Amino acid sequence: MTWRIDRRTFLRGAAGPLVPLPFLNLMEQTASGATAAAPPTRFVTLFKPNGVHPPSWNISGGSEFDFRTSPLMKPFAHHKSDLLFLDNMGDFGFSSHANSTRRFLSGHHRNTKSASVDQLIANRIAGDTAHRSLELTTEGLFPNQIGCSYISYGTDGAPIPRESDPQLVFDRLFRSPLRDPVRRSEMTSLLDRVGDDARSLSRKAGAEDRRTLDQYLSVVRETEKRLQNLQSKNSTIPKVAENIERPTTPTNLNEQVESMLDLIALALWTDSTRCITYMLGNSNSRMVFDFLGITEQHHYLSHFFRNFSRSNLDSLLKISLWHMEKFDSLLNRLKSYRDQHGSLLEHCLVLFGSGMGHSDNHTATRIPLVLAGQANGRLKTGRYVRYAKNQQLSRLHLSLLELFDVPMESFAETSKPLPGLSDSDFQPYREIPFASWVRHESDTITVQGRLRLSDDLDEARVFYVDVENTKSIRIEVAFRDFHNFNLAYHCGTPIKLVGTGTKQGDDYLITKISDLTPLHGNKPGSAPG
Amino acid sequence: MVERSYRPTGHTLKISDRVVIVRLSLLVIGFAAAEGAFAQNTADIASDPNITFESDIRPLLDRYCVRCHGEKDEIQGEINLRLVKTEGEIDAAFGLWQSALELIEDGIMPPADEPQPTAIERDRIRRWYQSRFIDDIAPHPGFFRPRRLSAHEYRNTLESVLGLELDVLIREAEQTVTEKSLVMKLLPTDPPGPSGFKNDTSANPLTSTTWEQYTYLVDNGLQRLFAAPHRETLESYLGPLDGELTRDQAEQLIRLIAFRARRRSVSDQQLQASLRKIKNAATDDLMPVLQSELKAVLMSPTFLYRGLLMNVPRDRISPVDDFELAERLSYFLWADMPDAELLGLAEKQELQKPDTLHQQVDRMLESPKARSLAIHLGVEWLTLDEIEHVSNNPPVADALRIQPIDFLHYLFTTNRPIVELIDSDVAFINAHTAKYYPLDRSQLPKYKRPTGIEVERLPNTKIVLRKTPERGGLLTMPGILAMNKGPIMRGTWVLERILGQDLPEPPADVGQIPANRRGENLTFRQRFEMHRKNPNCAACHDKIDPLGFALQQYDAGGGFRRSPKNASKKQKLRASQADQQPPNDGEFDTSGRLPNGETFQNFAELQAILVTSEKQRILRNVVQRFLCYALCRKLEPADRITVDAIVQKVSQGDGTFGTLIHAIVESLPFRQTIWQSIEERP
Repeated sequence: MTWRIDRRTFLRGAAGPLVPLPFLNLMEQTASGATAAAPPTRFVTLFKPNGVHPPSWNISGGSEFDFRTSPLMKPFAHHKSDLLFLDNMGDFGFSSHANSTRRFLSGHHRNTKSASVDQLIANRIAGDTAHRSLELTTEGLFPNQIGCSYISYGTDGAPIPRESDPQLVFDRLFRSPLRDPVRRSEMTSLLDRVGDDARSLSRKAGAEDRRTLDQYLSVVRETEKRLQNLQSKNSTIPKVAENIERPTTPTNLNEQVESMLDLIALALWTDSTRCITYMLGNSNSRMVFDFLGITEQHHYLSHFFRNFSRSNLDSLLKISLWHMEKFDSLLNRLKSYRDQHGSLLEHCLVLFGSGMGHSDNHTATRIPLVLAGQANGRLKTGRYVRYAKNQQLSRLHLSLLELFDVPMESFAETSKPLPGLSDSDFQPYREIPFASWVRHESDTITVQGRLRLSDDLDEARVFYVDVENTKSIRIEVAFRDFHNFNLAYHCGTPIKLVGTGTKQGDDYLITKISDLTPLHGNKPGSAPG
Repeated sequence: MVERSYRPTGHTLKISDRVVIVRLSLLVIGFAAAEGAFAQNTADIASDPNITFESDIRPLLDRYCVRCHGEKDEIQGEINLRLVKTEGEIDAAFGLWQSALELIEDGIMPPADEPQPTAIERDRIRRWYQSRFIDDIAPHPGFFRPRRLSAHEYRNTLESVLGLELDVLIREAEQTVTEKSLVMKLLPTDPPGPSGFKNDTSANPLTSTTWEQYTYLVDNGLQRLFAAPHRETLESYLGPLDGELTRDQAEQLIRLIAFRARRRSVSDQQLQASLRKIKNAATDDLMPVLQSELKAVLMSPTFLYRGLLMNVPRDRISPVDDFELAERLSYFLWADMPDAELLGLAEKQELQKPDTLHQQVDRMLESPKARSLAIHLGVEWLTLDEIEHVSNNPPVADALRIQPIDFLHYLFTTNRPIVELIDSDVAFINAHTAKYYPLDRSQLPKYKRPTGIEVERLPNTKIVLRKTPERGGLLTMPGILAMNKGPIMRGTWVLERILGQDLPEPPADVGQIPANRRGENLTFRQRFEMHRKNPNCAACHDKIDPLGFALQQYDAGGGFRRSPKNASKKQKLRASQADQQPPNDGEFDTSGRLPNGETFQNFAELQAILVTSEKQRILRNVVQRFLCYALCRKLEPADRITVDAIVQKVSQGDGTFGTLIHAIVESLPFRQTIWQSIEERP
């Protein structure tokens, strides 16, 4: 019998029915006496390149249990009860692509001598699985800033090579001659055949320079010996793997990623590995999403302030939505794969997100981060956790290490784990009351109020300061001011802003900024992140 | 299975600013023997067969050489003359004797402050060399040895056998580096062999790791062959397919793949084991049996090695058979197996006919596959892979690297004169390299970056250099100038790669060039010349430095500095990185004097010398590199006769690459062989 996963069905996502997969009782196959033990907890990371358009991503308002998901979250919003939305993560005013990528799983960009958190967790949870971990991606290396290409780092802090081809991953997982008895016996008969060939050539009159053939034969013998040694050991691939069909050759990026997501779920389901990281692209990806009808490079589009046009922004959002759909695809699969303990998702912790928030300004605050799955009851989902203050990513990593029982005093310069993952014991974001007003003297406008980025997609370069009982003050400045005063960093917080502009009727317009002061003293660090 | 991890420095050439004496890279060592070989035509020297090594030469070595080259713990230049003992070792070291003779002739060794051999003694050495390595050498094609396909030959051959490409699924976003070939990704990187080329796999034996990768690649290839996207390919071999293959079609496929994989005709008799298995297979089992039989064909030594099935008489020199000739041709010109036309001619035994052979070579040079000459022979000979490290921006590095490759491809395949390597008015440029050709860039079609594209790789356009006298030929290509930073590296590269001279390793204790002291205002060249007065240094630097300093007007990035006085900040920084600060009067000192006494004022004058009085040396080097590559082995004493004859041929008239390639194909070592067991060889 062959279980073929119907890709079209998956592509329909939440709307379509899922092919139920056969119930897989892995524990019955394990000869060891540990069957009674709880199922292993798995750790999966899905990385989204190039940040987001914040107004489309951020959750506005709401509380831990009462909140509305944002427009970009729509593709996976139906999993809300299995998700934990983290907000106010990250605390750098500006960040390079490479640094933000290193921080994604390593806590801090200076943490370059230690393994990333996924690897530390893999060491702990791998047990006797065939693959300690899998590191996957979609595109090639970016040598200009090599850090853009990696999120997983080994014990010495060196990047771990990634694999991009679903068929190769499949072969590695399910067709390894070293672990598969069927493949082993095929290999043995092959060795017999070619060994005969070589010996007959070697005997043939005139076939001189036996050294070459002897070399060949000695490799054949060596391989025979290794196979014999393996024969005596038990296979570690579950029998079910024999019936899984090899993915067909994908014709576009979407099919490639869907195939890989299939394999991620299958690898976890068959307990071939318990830790996987997957990059949907390098952090500054210049992929062209032609299959979405987009001809511009993703990185170009992500700088939506500098390269603004409505159609560019629409293209950027289309790409971001596609990323969100892939997260949804992954969750759908993890929910549909079940064993005697329940669905895979219940035993997983999935980390989804990007390295930066505002993709034009590279602001590393309010970084998109969502956790999914129950991690065997250790993660409390269905919540929106917005911390009172901007949090270093390393705190999240330390909590994840704790959650996976990896004893670490500190990680990446942090010794305080992030609260609020498994309970509600955290300090939530609270409004501190402040007065809002606007003053106008000749061409100078001074305003105090909450800064926000326009959510009107036709004016994605425009900011507003909301003032009580007045029409919001419109800020339309050149890139220089946007960047120098780091408007993206202060979005959502109360500020006092001085600038030049005009007033016509009730409409204030600021076109040049001369000063910006955050009311609660939050300032972006001056050190580049 | 996984991508090779990125090594930012790895085998990169990292040259600190002030390292004085450098070697291009360890790769060069492989050339040592071949490079020194026949660097000088000594045909007019009298020989004397009565001189023997033990009674006449050894005492001279003991007196003048071994104190530095063999006696102390520290062996100078890594040359230990004490190690040469048996007659076989003396013969094997022929390259060493060649270099030694040259150094003695040039008066470079022994160093001036050491005792010097007398004129009679020098003459004795010369005569001994002449008789032992020239006069006593009879024409000999070299002993035959089966050779394993190199990784890129394996890739090309496997893809040609199956008729499909084996690539990896990886997105090629702009500015990323990808390895698209599954074969190249999985197989270990080939080291250059003793000949200096990767196709010389004689020192690179099969290992069990490589074996396992081969099995995986064959599985992968067969899986693709039978998968839906390649249905058409399969049908072109077997006719219309109605679902599964029939037994007849399975047999047909075995015959076809075996013919291609063995690169020669194969009878049913030879395939009987496979055919019997197909015949006896149960219908359900046909496909698995077919696949495992095909796998056996593609894992057999007859596929992985070249020459095992060659059919020639033993123990005497004889022409290679037709199929072997077809293979020699196709691996030389295409780095791939022979195509149907070559195999067809071999089968009819027509390939050896001179006219046919000549036409075939011309046909092969016109094929796009002939680009392999530039990509493998050219890149490995001229170390062009080093250009990759010149820029972190792949489209730019790519543009700089593709430039010499396109240029070489043009020279090699359109019958251009060999000296155009040094002096040519043709260049290949794209928008990334156009800035180096400011007055001729108008020949490049205007490039407008498409909206939304930040950077992209671009193809080259061939232009004629009319107003760019500072460019033309390999030596002034920006990528080559930039990969060899500083005058010493540049000089070494020209000497080794273009003039074919082998240099010994610099001593380990060379030290660094001191910076200017307070109040001093000397150029790097002036300080360097003070530092290298030591006669031990002069031995090599007299040759290296004039070549390198002649290129001082090109900055570390390969840019040409017209007016050093008005240099921009960036240019000044680059200049200081390349140890090229101009002297006080703002003029670059690009003058020099070659060891043969010729002098020049600037690079243009040096270029003129290179294509006239140094032409023979350059031709000899090119001939030797091509011959090494074509034969996939390092050259031996007997090859001197072939090299001399080909050098002679290309010295006349235009001396084109076409003439060179035809001459190699017609040469004795290419066309003949002797098959003899090692134990029975003299």
